[in-house]
Amino acid sequence: MLARSCLRATRAFAGARNGAVQITKRAASSSSSGSTAESPLRLNIAAAASTAVAAGSIAWYYHLYGPNADAMTPAEEGLHPTHYPWVHQQWFKTFDHQALRRGFQVYREVCASCHSLSRVPYRALVGTILTVDEAKALAEENEYDTEPNDQGEIEKRPGKLSDYLPAPYKNDEAARFANNGALPPDLSLIVKARHGGCDYIFSLLTGYPDEPPAGAQVGAGLNFNPYFPGTGIAMARVLYDGLVEYEDGTPASTSQMAKDVVEFLNWAAEPEMDDRKKMGMKVLVVTSVLFALSVWVKRYKWAWIKSRQIVYDPPKDVRH
Amino acid sequence: MGFWDTITDLVEAATPWSTADADAPAKESTEEVTAETTQEEASSEKEAAEAPEEEPAAEEEEEEEEEEEEEEEPEIVDPKEQLEEECRNSKQCAPVKHHFDECVERVTSAQANGETAKEDCVEEFFHLAHCATQCAAPKLWSILK
Ligand code: HEC
Repeated sequence: MLARSCLRATRAFAGARNGAVQITKRAASSSSSGSTAESPLRLNIAAAASTAVAAGSIAWYYHLYGPNADAMTPAEEGLHPTHYPWVHQQWFKTFDHQALRRGFQVYREVCASCHSLSRVPYRALVGTILTVDEAKALAEENEYDTEPNDQGEIEKRPGKLSDYLPAPYKNDEAARFANNGALPPDLSLIVKARHGGCDYIFSLLTGYPDEPPAGAQVGAGLNFNPYFPGTGIAMARVLYDGLVEYEDGTPASTSQMAKDVVEFLNWAAEPEMDDRKKMGMKVLVVTSVLFALSVWVKRYKWAWIKSRQIVYDPPKDVRH
Repeated sequence: MGFWDTITDLVEAATPWSTADADAPAKESTEEVTAETTQEEASSEKEAAEAPEEEPAAEEEEEEEEEEEEEEEPEIVDPKEQLEEECRNSKQCAPVKHHFDECVERVTSAQANGETAKEDCVEEFFHLAHCATQCAAPKLWSILK
């Protein structure tokens, strides 16, 4: 079959080039039925040429678009973080709320002095990380502006559950001024805002080497961190073994604190995850019930068709 | 996660008798405890008044207790650093470690000779760190809570 179509292709090709040959060929082939009249050499050349064109076009495509062209050196790109087996990334797992609680403690005791968490209100912490009473007490530790009173004055009041976590600095300029010109980003959505998400932030927090590798240039006021694009980050290493004291007695090693705070930040960026997975389960349950129902209904509707019998009753063999 | 873990999770989640509350556990027992301790304190004070010659012994006991407490808190070692150190020296990472060490030697000797090094070891460091973290990751997660 392939040979046939190849033959046809060469014929058409030859025809376009040279009509005269084509005509004589046609006559020859029609007189001696079939393709036996075609010279096998031409056939082979045609097949080999088309295969070469196919292979060549693939090779050319790969040459043009195949290899990545990196405009940046690996150091500028930053070391890609290793993937860690986070519990919350498994399909049927919720957040580890004990870890969230520890992580919130780390955020409050370590990161909150530089980083805001402006999209998280105290009420979001209730039931996921703190009890109602704990959250209320925490809110009351901070003062917030009231609505203007009768004289138009704005006064201060203790915080309520509906207030948002306070920022460490009045504004970005103050934050920059206090941090050598570098702005500590808001951490509410940081897990979603960085390539590598949880893996990146965990690696960033735990990845400060004791000293930069030989020959590496570290800018003034910067710290070497392989995971930060460009390797020079304005945030120095903040987590050290035993920095916080966990209420549940977990040993506060650097990586434990980093893991907890990253899980907490992941919660802050995606607090709806538990509900979302629950909704997914509900969808699976309902659709599986509906599917089962539909199978039974189909059985019922088809029962008479499946069980009918078509009988051919041949006429009696009558001998004449 | 194994398949059976999923099943047991589902069963656990579906059982009506397992509940999760956001409220703090009730604090009824604390009062009793404080009452007991105050009683104990009172009685110990009495004892102390009655038997002053026993005091040094008691103090010694206290000192011993303090020492024990200090011993109970061992230095926290970061499992990540420990595991990655092991991984760096493992056979798996031997080739990249070899390259890194060679690079460090080249650069430091060039610096020692007063030349400005024409290269840095960042890329070699990356490959080594990549190998070590990759190797340590699953072990680390089995240790951390
Ligand atoms: C001393 C102040 C300070 C503390 C404490 C601090 N940071 Fe930072 N952080 C900074 C600064 C400054 C930057 C900006 C770095 C830069 O852009 O070079 C930063 C940047 C970051 C980034 C963004 C990195 C990126 O890819 O842009 C993350 C994530 C981060 N910090 C997490 C944390 C966490 C988690 C903690 C608590 C464990 C913490 N930081 C504690 C000052 C701080």
